[in-house]
Amino acid sequence: MTKASDTTLDRKIITFSLGQQTFGIDMRAIIEIREWEEPTPLPTVPSFIKGVTNLRGNVVPVVGLAERLGWEPSKIHSRSCILVVNINGKQAGFLVDEVADIVAIASAEIQPAPDVEIGEPSVISGLIRITVRGKGEEKEAGQMVLILDLDALSLTKHMDIAA
Amino acid sequence: MSDELDEIQAIFFEECAEGLTAAEAGLSAMKAGDADAETIASVFRAVHSIKGGAGAFGHVDLTAFAHRFENVLDEVRAGRIAPSAGVVKVMLSSFDILSDHVAYAKGSAERPNDTAALTALEEILKNGGAGDAGEAPAAPVAEAPAPPPAEEEDPFGFTPVLVSLDDFDVVAEPAAAPPAADGDWIVCFGPSRAALSNASEPMLVIRELESMGAEIVHVDTSALPGLRDLDTEDSYFIWKLIAPGTLSESEIRDCFDFVAPDSLIEITRCEAAPAAPVLEIEIAPVEAAPTISDDTFVPIEPIVSAAPAAPQLRVVEVDDPGKPARMEAAAQTIRVDLGKLDMLLNLVGELVIRNSILADRLSPQDQQRVELPELARLTRQIQDNVMSLRAQPIKQAFSRVPRMLRDLGEATGKQVNLITTGDTTEVDKAVIEKIGDPLTHMIRNAVDHGIESTEKRLAAGKPAEGTIHLSAEQKGARIFVRVKDDGGGINRERVRAKAVERGLIAADAVMTDEEIDQLICAPGFSTAESISNISGRGVGMDVVRSNVEALGGRVEIQSVPGQGTSITMILPLTLAILDGMIVKLAGQRFVLPLASVVEAVRPEPGQVMMTTPGNEVIEMRGQYVPVKRATDIFGIADTRKPEEALVIIVESESVGHVGLMVDTIDDRREVVIKSLDQNLHPIRGLGGATILGDGSIALILDIEALVSHPTAHRFAMKGMAA
Repeated sequence: MTKASDTTLDRKIITFSLGQQTFGIDMRAIIEIREWEEPTPLPTVPSFIKGVTNLRGNVVPVVGLAERLGWEPSKIHSRSCILVVNINGKQAGFLVDEVADIVAIASAEIQPAPDVEIGEPSVISGLIRITVRGKGEEKEAGQMVLILDLDALSLTKHMDIAA
Repeated sequence: MSDELDEIQAIFFEECAEGLTAAEAGLSAMKAGDADAETIASVFRAVHSIKGGAGAFGHVDLTAFAHRFENVLDEVRAGRIAPSAGVVKVMLSSFDILSDHVAYAKGSAERPNDTAALTALEEILKNGGAGDAGEAPAAPVAEAPAPPPAEEEDPFGFTPVLVSLDDFDVVAEPAAAPPAADGDWIVCFGPSRAALSNASEPMLVIRELESMGAEIVHVDTSALPGLRDLDTEDSYFIWKLIAPGTLSESEIRDCFDFVAPDSLIEITRCEAAPAAPVLEIEIAPVEAAPTISDDTFVPIEPIVSAAPAAPQLRVVEVDDPGKPARMEAAAQTIRVDLGKLDMLLNLVGELVIRNSILADRLSPQDQQRVELPELARLTRQIQDNVMSLRAQPIKQAFSRVPRMLRDLGEATGKQVNLITTGDTTEVDKAVIEKIGDPLTHMIRNAVDHGIESTEKRLAAGKPAEGTIHLSAEQKGARIFVRVKDDGGGINRERVRAKAVERGLIAADAVMTDEEIDQLICAPGFSTAESISNISGRGVGMDVVRSNVEALGGRVEIQSVPGQGTSITMILPLTLAILDGMIVKLAGQRFVLPLASVVEAVRPEPGQVMMTTPGNEVIEMRGQYVPVKRATDIFGIADTRKPEEALVIIVESESVGHVGLMVDTIDDRREVVIKSLDQNLHPIRGLGGATILGDGSIALILDIEALVSHPTAHRFAMKGMAA
């Protein structure tokens, strides 16, 4: 992992699971990780917006990330949590199934996302294979992580729908 | 009055600083070659606003200079002069002179020499920027000498807020603060040589004073000569003591009964105000001290100066009576970054919530044991105080209007009467600061364009004196600031013709009256025949609209020909306090603005009737009032029988009384409005959200949006989304 110069570990991502998939978000965008807490529902918003919650005096929308990506809504369980992120100065909370790890990656190793992967390819900015901590020496058996493009997930993109 | 004026002036200078920052940014962008229309317009607006305010406060030089500067900017904006390097250079140096003029108007600098700049500006006007070719090579050199503005500008964009610290005046002058508390006696005792030779032991006197509660605070030894010159028979010390104010003067004086009369004995009372007693201290000793021989009096000087700093202050008092007051004012307010206040408010909110969590988790006995109620009370007080820091009465913005009207009246020869209502409405500080400029323009427009000349008014059968009604009012989550005149109304034909002439609309455009009225907000629009000092350049309403939109609000114009125009700024209260009623609607808590609540009723069977499927009315004392359910509002299922619910009758502007069917009324409390668009986007029917005591969020209902027909809100949403 330490040899070539183009594999410098220059980024950190936080990895989490949604259903069977593992996703990653750039660490720099993360504000905090919170336990799941039922948000206050909002009327007349798309169903993936679960509502709003209180983050130290800020009213922050909570997004069901699975629904946002077009999958079955996540079931709430004991490890469900909310990843609070900063998207262009606006805060949003993403409901995820389980937060896994913080991993250092090399930007150079990120592969562009194949367009056929998901219905909405623009929300995935790239793919990367990581080794899973705790799973021993089997370096080959890495795990594929889908890195999310937060800008594409911005809630205010849906302004037109709501207004 | 002068205090009030100072306060308004202070706001003006804050605005100047903001305007100068904006102008500088724009000019720098132009210098860098980015001379698009918006940049030029922003510089123009800034200079125009400074000119407007300066005129209102009678800063003749500043107004005159800004006017010339503006002339050039106007030409540039109109595209008649190209913003070439040479022109921008002149404008930048003019900007510096403008900053100096502002500083001069403020009294913090000498009057700048603006002759050269004025000549350069005139030159540009005359040549249309043609002289530029010769100057262009000089432009790069100009970069270095172009000095930063004399005005200190805040590179971080802080919005300062004045916080009054009434109780800190003592701390403000720690060096001068006398150690004595208010009302205490200050006793100075310097026994004379005669006293010592009479064997009156100063120690005894001091001991007696100490037994009465006095304390030595200072011993003046400055009269003590060198060892060689020391006369062991003489006395050189002067003791200064503080005696409790509860003693009477005669009690203290009694201690000195046996002291030789030529000793120095001064007894003065320490007064409450530190500055005021200064003169008394100087005068009192003369009366209080018995005969003082010349040689004993000499050493007294240092004592007094070491004591309550009296001599220094006295000098100030005599030289400039106005100065101490100003020093005091400066000491009692501090500027605080608004962001810090917000942070504080959020943290205090958290504290309140933690408090309620503690209250939930601890048994009543444990709560008492850890004195939780006391903590809760304190927290509540902190919260109230922090909230009050941000909310300010709108009076601050209104108070400059009367003076402005007087000046405008003088300039136009129109008589204008002002009626102000709702000036105690509390508005967020940021909002007050931002509406100053638009308000100036609205008032000027009303006087210059709205109110007709006296002759015309009389001919139209109106009173000679025009009336401007300035009002502020909080409705739900919005603040309405309205300037209403009883003038001639908007001349729509003329507005239309001008708009066509300026190419703002097509000659054959089909427009409603309202749309034509909105044209007066277009940049550069003006119907005035000549450009006056007051208005006519067409930036005025543009400023109003852009400032209001920057705050997330909108401008409404209503005009009736012959009867007058009313221009309303509708502003959101990003961080305002709302008196709300907390209700449950389909199991969820909502906040209903209390101001719109008329009454609440529990319907009798049959009192609520269905008119058509989905439409219900309630019979209230013979009147039928439409009833809305949560279903109608948010599509939440609600199939309860009316008898099980409560109907709250609310007052709405658009449709009058409307009943809202709710489950229960939970509470009534003041809530802090948090806008949803900070992190999301505005949602129709909601005026925002608030955080309740338990940390949960309740949504604030926007009555107007709820009760009126959805299509009627097309415009409102457009305004909010922008």
